[in-house]
Formats: sequence, structure tokens, C-alpha cells
Amino acid sequence: MGNLTKKDLLVAAVGDVFRFEGVSMRYRLGPEVLHDISFALPAGSFHFLTGPSGAGKSSLMRLMYLAHRPYRGSIAMFGRDVSSLPRQELATFRRRIGVVFQDFRLLEHLTALENVALPLRISGAKEVQIRDQVAELLSWVGLGEQINAKPSTLSGGEQQRVAIARAVIARPQVLLADEPTGNVDGMIATRLMHLFEELNKIGTTIVVATHNEALLERFPHSRIRIENGVLVGPRDIFDTSAETVQS
Amino acid sequence: MKKLSNGLPLGVDPVSRFLTLKVGLLVLLATLSLAVGMVMSSVAESLQRSLSGTLTVQVPAGLEQQSATESIIEILRATPNIRDVREIPDREINEALEPWLGAQAPILDLPLPALVDVAIESGQTVDIQVLTKKLSAVAPGTVVEEHSMWLGRLMDITNTVETVSMSVMLLVLISVVITVVFSTRTWMAVNREAVEVLHLIGAHDSYIAHQFQKHTFWLWSVGAAGGFALGTSFVLLIQFYIGRLSDSFLLDLTLGDIQWAALCLLPATAIIIVIATVGFTVKSVMRSFM
Ligand SMILES: Nc1ncnc2c1ncn2[C@@H]1O[C@H](COP(=O)(O)OP(=O)(O)OP(=O)(O)O)[C@@H](O)[C@H]1O
Ligand SMILES: [Mg+2]
Repeated sequence: MGNLTKKDLLVAAVGDVFRFEGVSMRYRLGPEVLHDISFALPAGSFHFLTGPSGAGKSSLMRLMYLAHRPYRGSIAMFGRDVSSLPRQELATFRRRIGVVFQDFRLLEHLTALENVALPLRISGAKEVQIRDQVAELLSWVGLGEQINAKPSTLSGGEQQRVAIARAVIARPQVLLADEPTGNVDGMIATRLMHLFEELNKIGTTIVVATHNEALLERFPHSRIRIENGVLVGPRDIFDTSAETVQS
Repeated sequence: MKKLSNGLPLGVDPVSRFLTLKVGLLVLLATLSLAVGMVMSSVAESLQRSLSGTLTVQVPAGLEQQSATESIIEILRATPNIRDVREIPDREINEALEPWLGAQAPILDLPLPALVDVAIESGQTVDIQVLTKKLSAVAPGTVVEEHSMWLGRLMDITNTVETVSMSVMLLVLISVVITVVFSTRTWMAVNREAVEVLHLIGAHDSYIAHQFQKHTFWLWSVGAAGGFALGTSFVLLIQFYIGRLSDSFLLDLTLGDIQWAALCLLPATAIIIVIATVGFTVKSVMRSFM
């Protein structure tokens, strides 16, 4: 069975990973930063999220990685209405999502190895397994020498790679990457994109927020564009009516 | 190889050391107040038992003290509602006086009153005034002393001390809870970033709570053990001195086995309360995250 068939099966089984309907968002009592957003992302798809600075890309991602509740509208993940999920299950859902935060959010008191190991530790994996797996991934992203370094002693690009390693270590079903190539040079950016594509081939749904035009040119994936908190394209992801659910 | 961190920056910092010291003092206080409370409780109990009507008749010293005492005993035996009459032998009186007067008491040949113990039938009463008048006719100056009066007052005091010390212990435990709630909340606010990252990568609230519980367990155990050790040393020391006087003490001021067991449960209970409070606090703070 080839990868593609496997992926097709997965899409058929899971349906949409995300389904937003009429979602708006605000930070506390601030103004709405996202307005009436509706879209559906099928399992196994790969999207870029583009738009000017301040448009709401990171905010949209916050909703997707379950850090924030929508102010209006509904969000379904893996076919379940998020607002109806008990806390326990929300945590389980978060484990199925890998996130590369725009500002990395590495824990300063931990080494690169420990930071990357966190998702595995949380799910209760054995320490020995964790160590080997993490060391291997870190050397794959070119940080084999720095596994015991604290984030503050790493360059921006190195920190970014640690953040990416942490996002993918537990083989999430969804990878949300907010400007994951912002601090690395072209060669590493390409390498990281190839990593994302490999993950996508085995069925991981991927959303990459980026300003990087070169990247957008080189990797022809669907683009979701957001301007001023409103989705403006492409049309195909907007239709959240029942017929688009793949069967 | 160094163990991998669980994700939260929990070290022994000055604040932690302060908490250890604080919990030590709190447990010390709780231990002492519980010990006092329990001693008072058993004192009250034994007082209750002795209250079951007894009288003491004092026949003043004088030339005919011996014969007067004998007539008084006869009168008492003939009085209704009196169950038992017993003259307290000189030896017992001297023993009771020894701590104050020293071993020479018998030699000094002091003009001590003769003492007669009177036990009243349970549930019955004897009119003290009538009895006093009757006995004074035989030996002027005879005094009938009702134990229940001063015992009753002593009992009031004992009960008050017991209530106060038990309340102090409760207050101490409450302040333990308050300290834990505030230190946990402060710690979570300081480490909000680490807590939020753990939360976002899928840690259950209990995972985060458990880490802080483990950390607090050691911190507070050391404090509680220290405070408890100091507290029980105090109690033992006091018991030792009381033990040296105990012959002359009417009341038993030492702790029994069950009471010692209860005392030993105190630090364990304190730790359980702390751990439960930490878990509860962490989880309630976590509910502010989605
Ligand atoms: N924590 C916050 N509290 C209040 N407002 C916020 C917060 N984060 C973002 N915003 C506001 O939400 C809007 C969208 O911001 P967002 O970070 O989502 O933009 P973005 O598209 O990711 O921009 P960039 O490309 O610069 O990362 C902005 O107007 C911003 O001021
Ligand atoms: Mg952003």
C-alpha cells in the first residue's frame, strides 16, 4: 500500500481536522480581531496561512491549538465540537497537535533536549526511549552538538529548530507552525519544509503561517489568506457545507 | 546521567527555604497545642470521675483531736446517704506534704488537722451546713469541705484551656492551608509561561499539579518533621519534670499511648492537607486556561 492510498484512507476516516463556522475572536474585552471565519481543512492537507502583519494569523492559530475560546461561532476538531469537550479531552486533543509558536516559547531553565522531550514526558514515555529519540531528532535538525544547551545560549535560528523539534517529536496528527522559517537561512528553511512535507506524506495535516515569498513560490500548497481578521481566500476551503466532507 | 526535568522550574530557592521554616514553626505550634489540649481533656475526664460526691472533714489540731475524730467518724457513719468514711492516715498526709515541707514533716510535729474522707452515695446529697453544725458541736472548728466546689472551678479552667488549645491547633492548620494556597498561586504566577506551555502541549492539570505536589512534599515534610521533633521534645521534657513531681500531683498530666499516636498523626495529617490543598489550588488556577 503506497503512502497516498494510506493518506486517502485517513482522510476518509477522519474527515475534516478543523471546521470553523462563523467564528469571531477577541482578546478579553478588546476589539474583535477575527470576524466571521468559516472554513474546513481536510485531514492530510497542507496549507500556508498568509496575510499582512497584524492580520490575525497567530490569533487564528491560537484558536486551532485550543489556547483560546471563540467569542462567537463554533469550532469542530476531528469531528467533535470543541466547546463541548471536557477538560480531560481537550488535553488529549492538544497532544494530537504540534505547535511551533512564533516566539518559540522554549522553557529557559531546560536544555534543548529537555525542551524537546516535554511532549513525550507528558504522555508518559520511558526516559531511555525519550533520550534516544530526542537526540536523534535534534541532530537531524543540525543541533547534535547543542543538546545540552539552554535556549538562551542558542541563536534565534537554533532556538527555532528546537521549537520545531518539540512540535514534531510526538508525531502529531496536526502541525501548526507560526513563521517556522523566520530566523533560519534559505538552506535550513528548505530542509525544514522538506521535513514538513515528509510528515504530510504520512498523513499529518499541516498549516504553516509565513511571510516568506520565496517559500510560497517554491512549495506549491494551498494558501489561506487573511486580511484584517477576515478570510479572503482561497474559495475551496470556505465551503463548510456538509457535501464537502469527503466520503 | 542526570534525570530529565519534568518541565517546571522547581528548585530549592530562598522562598522555598522560608516556607520550610514557616511550616516547621506551624507544626511545632500545632503539636504543642494538641498536646496541651489532649492533656487537658484527660484531666477533665478524671476530674469528672472524682466529682462523684466526696467530702473532706478537717478536725482541728488540739488535745482531744484523736477522740474527737473518732466521735466524728461515728456521727458520719450514722448520717444517711453516706457510703463510706475513712480517716486519712498521718503517713498519707505527710507524703502529700513532703514536696513542700521536706522529709522532716513528721518530725516537726506540726499542728495538722486530722482528715476524714467521706464518700456520698452516688446520686444523693448531704446538707453541708447541717452536717457542719452537728460536727462542730463535737469538735469546735471542724470544717466540712466540698470537693465539687473547687474541683468544679478547676474543671471550668481545664475545659477552657482545652478549648483554647484545640482552637489554636485548628487556627494553625487553617493558616497552613492559607499559606499553601498563596504560595502556590504566587509560584504559578511567577512560572506562568512554563505552566502555559505545558498546558498547550497537552499536559493534564493533574500532571502540573502532581509536579508541584512532589516538590512541596519534600519541602513541607522537612519542615513538618523538624517542627514535630521540636514539639515532641518539648512535650517529653515537660512530662519528665511532671513525672518527678507526679507522686504529689493529684492529676495525671502525662499523655497516654493513644494520645501519643494522635500526636504522631498530626504531621502526617498536616502533609496530607498540604498536598490536597496544592492539588486543589493548581487545578483551580488551571481552570483559568481554556
Ligand atoms: N495577546 C493579545 N492581546 C490583545 N491583542 C492581541 C494579542 N495578540 C494579538 N493581538 C491583536 O490581534 C490582532 C492580530 O494579531 P496576530 O498576532 O494574530 O497577527 P499576525 O497576523 O500573526 O501578525 P504577524 O504577521 O505580525 O505575526 C492584532 O491587532 C494584535 O494587536
Ligand atoms: Mg503572528
